[in-house]
Amino acid sequence: MSTATATAPRSPAPGRPPATADRRRRFLPRVGHWFVTPYVVFLLVVFAYPLLYNLWISFHRFYFTAPGAHVPSRWVGFANYRDVFADPVVRKSFVNIGIFLVINVPLTVVLALVLAAALNAKLPFRGFFRAAFYLPYVTASVALVAVWSFLFGSDGLVDKVLGPLAPDPSWLVNSTWAMPVLAFFVTWKQLGFFVMLYLAALQNVSGELYDAASVDGADTLRTFLSVTVPGVRPATTVVTVFAIITGSNLFTEPYLLTGGGGPADASVSPVLVMYQKGIEQAHPDFAAALGVVLVVLVVALSLIARRFTEKGD
Amino acid sequence: MTASVAERPTAPRSPATAPGRPERAGLRPARLAVLLVAAVAFLFPFYYMIVGSLQKTPDSTIAGAVPHPSNTTGADYSQIDSAIHLGRSLLNSGIFTIGVLLCTLVFGLMAGYALARLRFAGRSSLLTSLILVQAVPFQLLVLPLYVLIVRDYGLGDNYLGMILPFAINSTAVFVFRQFFVQIPAEMFEQARIDGAGELTVLWRIAIPVARPAILTGVLLTFIGPWNEFLWPFLVTKDQNMEPLAVSLANFTSNLQATLVANPTGGIMAAAVILAIPAVVLFLVFQRHFTSTHIDAGVKG
Amino acid sequence: MFRRTALALVALGLVAATSSCARSGPDPAVADTSRGPITVWLSDNAQEIGWGNAMVADWNRQHPDQKVTARQIPAGKTSEEAESASIIAGNSACLVFNGSPASVPQFQQQAGLVALNTFPGAAAYIKARTGARAAQYESADGEFYQMPWKTNPVMILYNKKIFAKAGIDPDHPDLTTYARFVAASKKIVSSGAAPSAIWPSPASDFFQPWYDYYPAFIAQSHGQPLVKDGKPQFDSPAGRAAMDFWNTLYRDKLAPQEAYPGDAMAEGRTAMATVGPWAIAAYQGKVDWGVMPVPTQNGMPADQVHTFSDEKSVDMFTACKNRLTAWDVLKFATSEQQDGKLLSATGQMPMRTNLLGTYASWFARNAGYRPFADAASRTVEVPDVAGSIDMWQEFRDDYSRSVIFGKQSPDAALHEASVKISKILAEY
Repeated sequence: MSTATATAPRSPAPGRPPATADRRRRFLPRVGHWFVTPYVVFLLVVFAYPLLYNLWISFHRFYFTAPGAHVPSRWVGFANYRDVFADPVVRKSFVNIGIFLVINVPLTVVLALVLAAALNAKLPFRGFFRAAFYLPYVTASVALVAVWSFLFGSDGLVDKVLGPLAPDPSWLVNSTWAMPVLAFFVTWKQLGFFVMLYLAALQNVSGELYDAASVDGADTLRTFLSVTVPGVRPATTVVTVFAIITGSNLFTEPYLLTGGGGPADASVSPVLVMYQKGIEQAHPDFAAALGVVLVVLVVALSLIARRFTEKGD
Repeated sequence: MTASVAERPTAPRSPATAPGRPERAGLRPARLAVLLVAAVAFLFPFYYMIVGSLQKTPDSTIAGAVPHPSNTTGADYSQIDSAIHLGRSLLNSGIFTIGVLLCTLVFGLMAGYALARLRFAGRSSLLTSLILVQAVPFQLLVLPLYVLIVRDYGLGDNYLGMILPFAINSTAVFVFRQFFVQIPAEMFEQARIDGAGELTVLWRIAIPVARPAILTGVLLTFIGPWNEFLWPFLVTKDQNMEPLAVSLANFTSNLQATLVANPTGGIMAAAVILAIPAVVLFLVFQRHFTSTHIDAGVKG
Repeated sequence: MFRRTALALVALGLVAATSSCARSGPDPAVADTSRGPITVWLSDNAQEIGWGNAMVADWNRQHPDQKVTARQIPAGKTSEEAESASIIAGNSACLVFNGSPASVPQFQQQAGLVALNTFPGAAAYIKARTGARAAQYESADGEFYQMPWKTNPVMILYNKKIFAKAGIDPDHPDLTTYARFVAASKKIVSSGAAPSAIWPSPASDFFQPWYDYYPAFIAQSHGQPLVKDGKPQFDSPAGRAAMDFWNTLYRDKLAPQEAYPGDAMAEGRTAMATVGPWAIAAYQGKVDWGVMPVPTQNGMPADQVHTFSDEKSVDMFTACKNRLTAWDVLKFATSEQQDGKLLSATGQMPMRTNLLGTYASWFARNAGYRPFADAASRTVEVPDVAGSIDMWQEFRDDYSRSVIFGKQSPDAALHEASVKISKILAEY
């Protein structure tokens, strides 16, 4: 999944430096290792160790105990995984995240690209606009969720403005609307980051292409579709993959905005179930199995998305 | 993240919409209209947050969206100030965040540089893991990490224990790597021929041109520890060690029991306090994050 | 590439894992007979902190060689998470003055709690102080893993001004039956006195039933716990009646389906709240309140209505090195004198027999608390069963789906919950 290379289409093959450098670098194998050692140690301690520990836990009947208490953990094979797949709440959570991604990912890609394209010109208040788009991204979810729950509450401003058009029951307790509202919230919150990505990518789209399109008499929409969109395709891959990853790890929003995945599990997410099972209800074995399933799915989905968005290249 | 990727430090090319490039008539107002609508959608919740935090009694009517002098008070803020040690929490958040920033800048830049410009066994594996780790939800890792750091290493109520899981931000490493990859190889070769070590090359050549990437990395890294709740909540038992996000969460979860006058306003005020430092930092540095060619053009 | 990465990570991960040194807990034989400095944790309630700090200061004056340090538990959403985490890490305080009985089975399973029977005379002390109710806090193995400390018997607090505005007698509302309660609720909402009649949190946390369904079920069933002898008790006429009662309130939009982001009662957004006496201090000066018992289908005299205890215990954790001091502090903190101080500082009821007689002068001065003190003698606890949290979560999920959000008939959901909970209990 080296999305990395996808974003650098014009880089002169980073892995294959010119011949002279190549020869020289063969004498410096250790410098590279030395440079990455702190990061590798960090990855081992903070990711590899807990991940492997979780993998081990997921095949045992396991709970955490006080230090010094020796409780044997029984090997149970795939029993925890069976429990995970048999759990209706887990199944619901994966359906929910599917709904979430179907709304969130295309919306993020389209809005981010449109706003970035609109920003990509000499305009008055350009800095102000850009700052406005980034603000939600830099602000804590906890703080933003508080405002959204006031805005979208059944007594909130949005319903007051909509009057009779407001859904009943209100947004966050409406089993049809809860997940879309979360998807809109996350789109809104993360969009600034993706606008930033696209804005940078737009700098790489050569001006000559636009001029050519202009000579051909293409209108604005045609130019956007035939020049801008293909020109930023590598960035689209990154945006899609990151949107899928952040979306699949959805937690804070259903935890706080819809009172723990309500109404009646309509907005429950896999990470929320993991948190409830593993931390609140002390079933780390179930949570570990669910976590492993989730990570595998996210990686698979990201790979598919990458294939799909890169198809034209 | 690839904001910086495209910003090639050398060899600027003609941007898509150069500042001087003539635009089709009618396009500019259209652009401005789109941006204006979006800006309102993005800023309104912030405005509403501030208005709500200044209200004496919560007013969720349409008229309540406009501040009214008779219903305005600073009491919600003074409540917070009296309930938690605001200064101490800010200091803890500051130490936590700066610790993470320093580790990310020092070790992350080294790793990003090595991944971009040095060849060594296992490089592609490391590059793969760099992306893979972002797909792993933190909630999955938190209990084993907690046992490791608090029980085995005894780092509960300790800044080191707080910092460790966030120490090197992988997304930032990715940004650095992407940036260094794009710097023309000749720049490095010259220095190496002059006999400079890799650390010198990184310090003298790579870092000075990587300023936008570094700032982007700082922003990315900053929001993680600053906004993080779960981990510092688990690690701190001592109130004097709690960072701001934890103290404020404790404050809001406890609004009833602390007998505040306007819990709604209290929650809004807590949200504003938590948001301000991140927003200020961002506004101060924002023009550096994405210094595109247009900015260069605008600023002359 | 994936395979190589995985292999490298496995190898290095194993190195990281084995190089970490495991820390063990204190040796029980030594800790059980040791005295010395200890730490205690208090809840985040302002009044409880005031009492706790004063209690600790009293103790420290008399025992300079066994200094007690009081701290506040970082609350987050629930203090149980912080406590459970501290057990795993082995850095719990000696005593926690905020233990939920529902968490005891889990903490016990994690080897986190000290059995108080270790200390001579402990069982007799607890039984003498708490009376017959003490039996509800004894675990299945005959040990006390918690000291019953104080209770907040749940009753219905109402806003007199809103009642008056809705045309309900604010001094004698007499809402003892479901029919009258619902009729009064309709009046409150239709008259516009308040946008809702009662507003319990509709969130899906496992503990939310304690403040809506459970008190109603206990009252209707003359004091049955949710589970008795390993069998769910709620799939019964009493259980269904209580379920139907709440369902009516939600269906007729008298109780909102959405959590209020603030305090609905304090802000006059609702007329009633199911709360314990702690709330009186919280609503002082904001709400002109009255109190009444939880309603039942056909009404019951107030002095016969059982209710949920919302009790908090003091737990002693195995991380404690000076357990003898901890036990002495525990007895000191639950003495008649300290219980009296707790009562006057917080309004919460110590788990002690004959409250009204022992603290007669205080209740004479604070008559508003008398109904709570009276109810305190008829409280029912959450059942002490292994898998207790799972059970409550399952119950809440079924309740929430049917009663609050109307996606299933309450009777069917109740039956389903009963079947699933029997299964959960059998698995443990």
